[in-house]
Amino acid sequence: MAPVVSVEALRKRYRRRDPWAVDGVTFALEPGQAFGLLGPNGSGKTSVVKMIAGLLRPDGGAISLFGSKPGDPAARAQLGFAPEDPDFPKFLRAREVLDYFASLLGLDEDERKRRIPETLAFAGLDQEKRQVRQFSKGMKQRLGIAQAILGRPKLLILDEPTADLDPLGRRDVRALIESLKDSGVAVLLNSHLLSEVELVCDTVAILAKGHVLKEGTMAEVVPEGRTLEDVFVELVQASAPPKQDNLPSFITDKEDQ
Amino acid sequence: MKGTLAVARYTLLELSRRRLLLVFFIIGAVGIAVIGTAFKIAATVSPASISFGGPEGTFSPDQATLDRLTELQYVSQLIDVVGFFALLIAFAIGMTAIYHDLESGAAVGIFSKPVSRLAFTTGKVLAALVAMFVIVGVLSLETRLIATLFGGGLEGALWVETVAAVANASLLMLIVLALSAWMNNIIAAVVAFVYNAVAGFVVILHSVLVSGSLGDNALVKAGLDIAYWLVPHNLMSDAKRQLAQAEYDVFAKSIPQGQNGPTAADFLNNVPGASDLTDIIWWAFLVILMATLVYVAVRRRQV
Repeated sequence: MAPVVSVEALRKRYRRRDPWAVDGVTFALEPGQAFGLLGPNGSGKTSVVKMIAGLLRPDGGAISLFGSKPGDPAARAQLGFAPEDPDFPKFLRAREVLDYFASLLGLDEDERKRRIPETLAFAGLDQEKRQVRQFSKGMKQRLGIAQAILGRPKLLILDEPTADLDPLGRRDVRALIESLKDSGVAVLLNSHLLSEVELVCDTVAILAKGHVLKEGTMAEVVPEGRTLEDVFVELVQASAPPKQDNLPSFITDKEDQ
Repeated sequence: MKGTLAVARYTLLELSRRRLLLVFFIIGAVGIAVIGTAFKIAATVSPASISFGGPEGTFSPDQATLDRLTELQYVSQLIDVVGFFALLIAFAIGMTAIYHDLESGAAVGIFSKPVSRLAFTTGKVLAALVAMFVIVGVLSLETRLIATLFGGGLEGALWVETVAAVANASLLMLIVLALSAWMNNIIAAVVAFVYNAVAGFVVILHSVLVSGSLGDNALVKAGLDIAYWLVPHNLMSDAKRQLAQAEYDVFAKSIPQGQNGPTAADFLNNVPGASDLTDIIWWAFLVILMATLVYVAVRRRQV
């Protein structure tokens, strides 16, 4: 089966004097597969998905998105991307944002009339009349996921999709991922919530400092009797210099009785 | 094309909800109404105090002449006011139309959709131009309506001058749009403001040079000629000349028989006329250049 997306030896750095944010990342994702990209803060996860979505230019390596380059609008038509910390034109309402994005996706009016109310209802924003600038972070996150699924993508990229969601919202996102997988959609999930990744992903890659430390199916990466969190902590700690206990002294000092 | 129209449509919707634009529009609309009403009241309550004087004695104009002179004064003032507000609107739109999408993160969602950067830029520029034309057009329409208090007959001058004001402001707006895609929007506005002021100064110096008042220094002439073709030249209609001609006509009619006044040529000698074709071509070139720079800035932008 041809991969939906494949990246090979991907490299990126933001300034010449900076270290590589992404350095030699390689993986491929097939239809119906859920792939978890894990790593500590600053490990390069968001840079990788932004390069796949055509938002950042790689400095090296290759990306194939549905057989084309990410810059090709036709390839992006099959992509849904829910960014971390999403934002939108702030004077628009949720319905208008979705109508705007549906127009960019080329959906005709009948299809927009059908999809937008259902998507708003899924995101719990169907009764929301305020402009986006008055939204909470959680509401923006739900709108971010709503716009990502609006075009019925064949690849859905979710970058920290549940960071600002309440437990009910997280459950909905898990159900969404399961449902999309069943219908053959590939899902690329960036998340710090390892328990969540363990629940929904078939394969994972653990990144640190732009390198892939380990990649494989969940069974390959997580041995019997251990959790993904155990493996993650072990790998990341092994890749970094030992960390001192840096708790501030005013926290650790005992109060005089 | 669909992507361009979607970007333009929703940019216009956003612009229509921006308070800064609304505030500028309200100040402009109220200012125009106040200036017009003040002129009318001044002309109505103190006609006897106005008189024309010359070496051969003074005389007071009749009411019809006074109305006509007031209208001419009003239109002359309003041409400047509409031009000023067009520039304010240019800054307000130029600073926000693209910058907020790029800086807020909204561009991440937009650019991940199947829309090219060219379609996005075209939609943004199209919306900005339409918004500018509509806002300045409404202010001009208000000016025209208030001018009916005084009579009429200068509609053509006012409309053509509105088009010139929109053209000048559009170029400035594109400069701000291009700069704000590269840098902070407030810094972009300051840079554009300074550039516009320097450009105005260079154009005035060049016109002084052409009139021969700066002498015949070849180095100064070459320097100013080069500087002149590095900056925009504000487009002008012949409204100011029409107004001056109309003022002269009123003045000439009211001179009692047997007295001599200045000739029309004396009167119009220092009044600038409409921009020539070279200036219009230069304006069009700069518009295309700035729109291209906006596109290049958006295309290179990583979000």
